[in-house]
Amino acid sequence: MTPTEIDKYVREYIVAFNGYFTAKARSDFIRSALRDVDAANWRIIRRDNPASDYPSDFEVVEIRQNARNSLLTLQDHPYIKRVTPQRMVLRTLKLTDSGTDGTSPCNDTRWVQKWQSWQSSRPLRRTSLSLSSGFWHATGRHSSRRLLRAIPRHVAQILQADVLWQMGHTGSGVKVAVFDTGLSEKHPHFKNVKERTNWTNEKTLDDGLGHGTFVAGVIASMRECQGFAPDSELHIFRVFTNNQVSYTSWFLDAFNYAILKKIDVLNLSIGGPDFMDHPFVDKVWELTANKVIMVSAIGNDGPLYGTLNNPADQMDVIGVGGIDFEDNIARFSSRGMTTWELPGGYGRVKPDIVTYGSGVRGSGLKEGCRSLSGTSVASPVVAGAVTLLASTVLNREMVNPASMKQALIASARRLPGVNMFEQGHGKLDLLRAYQILNSYKPQARHVSLPYSTGVLSPSYIDLTECPYMWPYCSQPIYYGGMPTIVNVTILNGMGVTGRIMEKPIWQPYLPQNGDYVDVAVSYSPVLWPWAGYLAVSITVAKKAASWEGIAQGHVMVTVASPAENDSSIGGEMTSTVKLPVKVKIVPTPPRSKRILWDQYHNLRYPPGYFPRDNLRMKNDPLDWNGDHIHTNFRDMYQHLRSMGYFVEVLGAPITCFDASQYGTLLMVDSEEEYFPEEISKLRRDIDNGLSLIIFSDWYNTSVMRKVKFYDENTRQWWMPDTGGANVPALNDLISVWGMAFSDGLYEGDFSLADHDMYYASGCSIARFPEDGVVIAQTLKDQGLEVLKQETAVVENVPVLGLYQTPSEGGGRIALYGDSNCIDDSHRQKDCFWLLDALLQYTSYSVTPPSLTHSKNRVVPPTGTDRPLPQRLEGNHLYRYSKVLEAHLGDPKARPLPACPHLSWAKPQPLNETAPSNLWKHQKLLSVDMDKVVLPNVRPYRPQVRPLSPGESGAWDIPGGIMPGRYNQEVGQTIPVFAFLGAMVVLSFFVVQLTKGKNKPKRRKPRVKRPLYLQQQQTPHSGKTPTV
Amino acid sequence: MPLFPEVNELNSQSLSDNTPHFRSALSYFQVLYLALEHIQKKVSMVLRRLLRKRWVLGVVFGLSLIYFLTSTLKQEERTIRDRTLLEARDSDHHIQWKVKFLLGNSSRQISQCRNSIQGKSLLTDELGYVCERKDLLVNGCCNVNAPSSSQHVCKSCLSNGCCSIYEYCVSCCLQPDKQPLLEHFLNRAAEGFQNLFTAVEDHFELCLAKCRTSSQSVQHENTYRNPQAKYCYGESPPELLPI
Repeated sequence: MTPTEIDKYVREYIVAFNGYFTAKARSDFIRSALRDVDAANWRIIRRDNPASDYPSDFEVVEIRQNARNSLLTLQDHPYIKRVTPQRMVLRTLKLTDSGTDGTSPCNDTRWVQKWQSWQSSRPLRRTSLSLSSGFWHATGRHSSRRLLRAIPRHVAQILQADVLWQMGHTGSGVKVAVFDTGLSEKHPHFKNVKERTNWTNEKTLDDGLGHGTFVAGVIASMRECQGFAPDSELHIFRVFTNNQVSYTSWFLDAFNYAILKKIDVLNLSIGGPDFMDHPFVDKVWELTANKVIMVSAIGNDGPLYGTLNNPADQMDVIGVGGIDFEDNIARFSSRGMTTWELPGGYGRVKPDIVTYGSGVRGSGLKEGCRSLSGTSVASPVVAGAVTLLASTVLNREMVNPASMKQALIASARRLPGVNMFEQGHGKLDLLRAYQILNSYKPQARHVSLPYSTGVLSPSYIDLTECPYMWPYCSQPIYYGGMPTIVNVTILNGMGVTGRIMEKPIWQPYLPQNGDYVDVAVSYSPVLWPWAGYLAVSITVAKKAASWEGIAQGHVMVTVASPAENDSSIGGEMTSTVKLPVKVKIVPTPPRSKRILWDQYHNLRYPPGYFPRDNLRMKNDPLDWNGDHIHTNFRDMYQHLRSMGYFVEVLGAPITCFDASQYGTLLMVDSEEEYFPEEISKLRRDIDNGLSLIIFSDWYNTSVMRKVKFYDENTRQWWMPDTGGANVPALNDLISVWGMAFSDGLYEGDFSLADHDMYYASGCSIARFPEDGVVIAQTLKDQGLEVLKQETAVVENVPVLGLYQTPSEGGGRIALYGDSNCIDDSHRQKDCFWLLDALLQYTSYSVTPPSLTHSKNRVVPPTGTDRPLPQRLEGNHLYRYSKVLEAHLGDPKARPLPACPHLSWAKPQPLNETAPSNLWKHQKLLSVDMDKVVLPNVRPYRPQVRPLSPGESGAWDIPGGIMPGRYNQEVGQTIPVFAFLGAMVVLSFFVVQLTKGKNKPKRRKPRVKRPLYLQQQQTPHSGKTPTV
Repeated sequence: MPLFPEVNELNSQSLSDNTPHFRSALSYFQVLYLALEHIQKKVSMVLRRLLRKRWVLGVVFGLSLIYFLTSTLKQEERTIRDRTLLEARDSDHHIQWKVKFLLGNSSRQISQCRNSIQGKSLLTDELGYVCERKDLLVNGCCNVNAPSSSQHVCKSCLSNGCCSIYEYCVSCCLQPDKQPLLEHFLNRAAEGFQNLFTAVEDHFELCLAKCRTSSQSVQHENTYRNPQAKYCYGESPPELLPI
């Protein structure tokens, strides 16, 4: 409905009076002004809010179209100042009815919405916000530009926290812990700091950085830059020093204290990459198991993928990413899947939710406001919203980490054009979350949850939906391919512990070719705390080997949890959810188009030290992004897809794939060792036509010793366990063809086949068969630079080698000494063209002339002059390796593990037609938002009655205290005023006293006279003492 | 879409509508002040006489003294709450623990139990019973008659007071004979634990808190000293195992 449409029928006008009058007086004035107008054509709109008890200076009048001229008569009335059309209501309505088409059947919602926008006590500049907030919530980025640019605003108002404030919810009774850099004692923004504790080795509770103050302010500031929940109980935990140091052990003790104090919501705007820090991860689980809702920042390491920070990447934690005010994912926001599950599985979707994290205003260190960006900022926005939401729930028992997260993700608004590994479930929508949370009832024996979104994350699997389901949507599935794994998180709001009853059921839809798909499901044996995983592996049935089309079905999962409120012992609550599945199937592509990415020999982030591949990047010494085609090799993957290649991931030893299916095995930057069986199998495979491309990296034991460092966080020296890649292991793998990499360490720019290249800390080729093609370049010896700070240029460094194995139908091998040019992290110049050329060679046997006829071609090195690199003595690779195990003397290879075996679910076909759009389908399952009346206004009890309304109106509180809180505010200030009054009385007495004392002493004779006179003048003075 | 021109006016309307709310505070003050002025004019002369009486002065002084004292005491209370780990450095310092041990009546009947909440499958109630989740009664207590539940179990606990299962650690710690050990620990507790153990109020809370992994449980920050037996009710940290 546009305003003009409404104009045709009725319009509302604000009638402003010259002064403050009671409701009755106002209505009398209007009635007398409109006495000539038919009473059916106008009415005064009732305002049932706390303010209506008091005299007011305006009234809202609804006037029909045909009686418009009555406006003139209204304006003529002596007590009426002016009449203005009321428009805001219409707009506000439009935005609150979001989700439906704007025509709300529910009058209550409409009415209450009017109330909130109308009687808002927000000063002018803020009120316009509620008007624009329709745009804020419109996630179409382009429509929102104009408005957004104009107004930097308080985030609490953008998210419409004021609606909840006006309903009387301000976070009271909710304990919020802020784990940060502390807070000074007398910060003017906070009224309910319950406790401050220090867990660091610095002797202070105060914030020296401003980070903790800002975060606390976003959650609970009560003035200037308002936070979400000013009445919440703040517990400040100082766990981060002014030097930005913090230890796991401090956190452990502080978390224990938070558990003891029964904290409800905990904000942690701190994170790190170390999800292998078991004591910390276990403690976070323990914390959420004790019902602490943990909100944490996802990290500021974007836009690189694979940069999620712990603890935000945990299933039981609400991980928050950042967006700017134009609804773009903030560049800094960490993204990509979790890397815990690599190499065998696939990462979970994180962040869970995104919200404003760029240029948000919050409390300054001492006073005032400042603006800050980062997921550190986005996290307290959600923590504040969660606090506020928790305070709206009458039955607090229902609020737990899972139900809160469900409400947040089920209500989030999806941003267009952004995939789920960047935005999670979308942008935080406070009011929708409120609606969902207050319709949440997990009490019944069998809960058919009001919405299925939220229980599962992601709530459906649509491998065709782009870009939301990237990377799944970027490559169709086919028979014979590695199964596509979707790692779904199950959130169980019924209890801290739960289980999946029976095996999940796969129900293909026969009309939608569901029988062309095979599904295997594995899942957490116990859902604890509050969550677990459901890994769905999808592959194509043999009968669809040459079929192309869309197939659909769903997986049924039943979750059970002990019923704690059930009097019968052993009772369980259950809930069943459906996970729709939709995939695109294509005929199996030819072998030459299929590339297998070796993930098994890439180590995900381990607790050990695996240095960066580019040694220039000193501030980020660890290689922690997972080295997966969907994390830091994402650009390379996209490039290969755009070139028409199909890229699959090998998450198991080399012995576990059928080499006849693939053209090329791609090994990039491998840190892992190799099983002897793998080495012999690869040799056979290459004899039989598989090709191999290896992008290696540096490995120099002297440099490795040199780049050791003292880690503040673990308080120990860290010695690298490999170099950039594990060159000695790679040499074991390729030695059979007479190839080897050297321990040289080179760096430099060069040009190859008319492409600018940058060699960032790579090795050279030490040995190569003499009938191979080897390209050499002039590079700087970076090893010398690192070790002795000397610069030396080395000519003819062999960097690239191409080799056709001699056997009949044998494969080809290509080696390159540096992986940095295809890795997204710290890449300076990409070399995807080189990868293309190498793939042309390996897959199609097309020798690129630009390389073979290059002037840089040299005679293949025999490498007999220098020894090959040896493994660093005393390295601890075996601690993190899947291949090695500790052994007396040198670590030895473990026995080869069995290849992973998936047990495909027995399909239970349904003759059902699937909905065409799974996301919408989900929405249908969800709550009908409009049935949940939004502001379920509680009776408001004004505590103070104005003594004389009409007197002086210019009392402007700087920055404005939150609307909806004035009553209480006044109630609290009364003792202060009383005290001030008492002080005035007292000082008056004192003044009088000194006067009285001084006068008699100096002028004794005069004393009596004035008194005498006064006594004469005031005949009743004798009675005064009794007054 | 541009803002409506009327919005500004509209807002000023709604603003003034609300002025009574906060004006009330002002007017309250003003009225008070006016009243005072009034009193000053009319009664001052009389009061001046009254004020010369010592007892009146005494009362006024006394009242203000009381106010002063209460407000300063309140502030002190606040600073006490702001405890810092490192405030007390001296080795003689004992933390002011206030744990109330309830001795000998662990079999007492209570209607409502606290329990250890967090367990994956096991729970310990405040009487020291360990049971499976399914045997938990509505009142939070373990069903004593269930085969899975037993009281004061030290299963999985080593002689150094460290256990591999948290719930058994709590249950074991709740044994009445562990009281001297716990008191000894409290008297010598490390500074780092001051916040925690001064806030603990009774035996059950103490055991819940003591058995949790803490700064004492780790080596190199990110590794457990002993990943197997890491929940300790005793004084000593878990046995240090090589990584």
